[in-house]
Amino acid sequence: MMGGRTLNLATGLLVKTLDFSSFAAQSWFAAVRPPFRLRDIVRQIHFIAVEGLWIIVLCVCAAAMVTILEASFHMRLLIQNDAMVPGFAAMLILRELGAVVMALLVTSRAGAGMAAEVASMKITEQIDALRMLGLEPIRFLVAPRLIAGIIAGATMSLIANCVCLIAAMGVSILKLGSTAGLFMSMSRPFVTGQDLCFAMIKGAAFGAVIPLFACYWGLRSRAGAEGVGLATTNAVVSTSIAIIIIDFILSYLFSYFY
Amino acid sequence: MIEFEGLVKKFGERTVLKGIDLKISAGEIVFILGTSGTGKSVLLKTLVGLLRADAGRIRIGGIDVTDISEEDYLPIRRRCGMVFQHPALFDSLTVLENVAYGLMKHERLSLDQARPRAHECLEMVGLGGQDLESLETKLPTQISYGMQKRVSLARTVAVGPEVLLFDEPTTGLDPVTTKQINRLIQELSRKLKTTAIVVSHDMDCALEIADRIVVLDQGLIVAQGSVAEILRSTHPLVVDFLVEAKAREVTA
Amino acid sequence: MIADIGRCFLFCLEAMDVLRRKGVSRREVFHQIWRVTIQSLPTTAMAGFFVGAIMTVQFTMQVEMYGALGYLGGLSTSATVRQVGPLLIAFMLSGKVGAYTAAELGTMRVTEQIDAIRCLGANPFQELILPRMIAIIVSSFALLAAGLLMSIAGGVTLGIFFSGINPDEYLRHIPTIVGWPSIATGLFKCIAFAIVLAAICTYKGYTATGGARGVGRAVVQTAVATMVSLVVADWCTSLIADAIVEVSLSVFKSGAAL
Repeated sequence: MMGGRTLNLATGLLVKTLDFSSFAAQSWFAAVRPPFRLRDIVRQIHFIAVEGLWIIVLCVCAAAMVTILEASFHMRLLIQNDAMVPGFAAMLILRELGAVVMALLVTSRAGAGMAAEVASMKITEQIDALRMLGLEPIRFLVAPRLIAGIIAGATMSLIANCVCLIAAMGVSILKLGSTAGLFMSMSRPFVTGQDLCFAMIKGAAFGAVIPLFACYWGLRSRAGAEGVGLATTNAVVSTSIAIIIIDFILSYLFSYFY
Repeated sequence: MIEFEGLVKKFGERTVLKGIDLKISAGEIVFILGTSGTGKSVLLKTLVGLLRADAGRIRIGGIDVTDISEEDYLPIRRRCGMVFQHPALFDSLTVLENVAYGLMKHERLSLDQARPRAHECLEMVGLGGQDLESLETKLPTQISYGMQKRVSLARTVAVGPEVLLFDEPTTGLDPVTTKQINRLIQELSRKLKTTAIVVSHDMDCALEIADRIVVLDQGLIVAQGSVAEILRSTHPLVVDFLVEAKAREVTA
Repeated sequence: MIADIGRCFLFCLEAMDVLRRKGVSRREVFHQIWRVTIQSLPTTAMAGFFVGAIMTVQFTMQVEMYGALGYLGGLSTSATVRQVGPLLIAFMLSGKVGAYTAAELGTMRVTEQIDAIRCLGANPFQELILPRMIAIIVSSFALLAAGLLMSIAGGVTLGIFFSGINPDEYLRHIPTIVGWPSIATGLFKCIAFAIVLAAICTYKGYTATGGARGVGRAVVQTAVATMVSLVVADWCTSLIADAIVEVSLSVFKSGAAL
């Protein structure tokens, strides 16, 4: 009994994974082939990146500042010396915090909104209407969102990281008694073009995952209020988990370059 | 039974109802006709307090409900059963749970205790018979639109209302089902001795079962009376409605 | 914006009023708690693991050169539990729970199901809002606490693989730095975040208007509003918690002096 259940669960998961893989492959294929729907792409970039940018940057900064303050509090507690904190904080922001927290917040805002929108379209038969007009949903809906996600992810990662570094400097000066010069010289070894580049690659990877999962669950939404809710949650959950896994993988790969 | 007195409802700058005076006595079947967007549905929703009037008074069974609190409105709403345009069934509950919902909440019955009454109501709307067993465990999204409308009607009837309010009951249905639903409205209001207010744009149905027809245009009542009186009316909108109905009858 | 805050506040007052006068179905509350907890457990566990992991990495780099690696467990656990953990896990949880609740209630609103409840003479606050509010508060608190526990697991794992430290040693040093003030501060934050989240997502879902698009809008607005409120709540709770800890410590000291 128990074994059968586990088996069912495992097969279900496998089927879903295969289904998603083929969906993702189709989406990529549709995304790299012209014609590109420039107008849609721009509109989606606006939705993903521009509308929520400052709120997300604010939240990433808050997370970074809290981390710095905590780190310094504990370093003082232990060895009465928090001089190293700003440098390592800059490194933490660039390598992990900036891109990941940004992506997680974008997921809960744009990812959830996108999944809810697509799911609503699905249950009100708008997707079928598109098909009837000869517009393949993957080409018409998913591909522009995918391209937009990649561009928006990379750009937002860059902006979030830069603003975050400035915020980190601010906190170091105000609360840690550091100076601007000291902060810069401490963090200089960690803030190179290469680091920023890696942060942008991470952002782009996360940005690609968000619309893929959102559209996947949205297009497979079941009817009714619970169906839309479920599609939204599934999208948020699988995106968040995927982001963290991808982050571990990318961090591991990048560690060969440092 | 129900009285509107100079009812005014505004949405921002737009005045949707511009002073409605209407009296409906117990046991009547009243059709409120009008083109889309003339405030028919708004009139119904204002009656049951889902929307609040900006001016004028509403009385239900002698009680002035214009300014009473949401809390005091609950027992009154129970006496007015509303059937929504889109069936508005609770889509996380099964058909049986939907019909039994009102009973379970009001009389604190368990689902099993409410079952006989729910079955009765489902039978009343023509969903009885041997399929009942399989039907009652289905979710609203698994049954046809016409059936959803019937279930919605059964849900409303289950709490034993004195007034039945229908918001476009036949919109989006095929002619056969439309006929059935119409007959159902008539039968139910005779059988349960309820007053019925039907908001519709279907003159055919109105001519068939209404005791009285009220025609609404631009937020005002432009004509009202019995079927015979409406047939004699010379108001252009009423004439349009009648011509349209006649034309359909001829093609049919 | 200001008006929205006020309306949300009135909404909560109304809910409290209904709770006081009419109570709420216990069964429904437990049902909702179960649903929220089960659905969000993977996300929170993952978030907790991630936070613990990056805090360990961060502290490893800083204490390594002082040869104080032994204290790693205490340092990273304390920092995570006190401040960083609650905020980051709450960010993730808000995406998940907030999106689901707002989408579900929003869809019920735009398909007139909420009106139908009112027309059947039932109170939507009693039937829908309160069970969800209570369930979200209870299970978010439980989930945040579970996420914090999970962060220790993340810390230990990275401690083994990144810092090459013995898990026994890592765990043994946790109690040396993590005292009751840290834990109390962390849990206090968890409660505050849970309340903020519950109030905003039920309010936004309940007041959704305008069809399928309106539901999507409600979901996006929920995400934005919760993020900002979480940051604000984080600052406020930090101030309050620090003050309480200061006061109680000084009371304790003066008591000891006597």
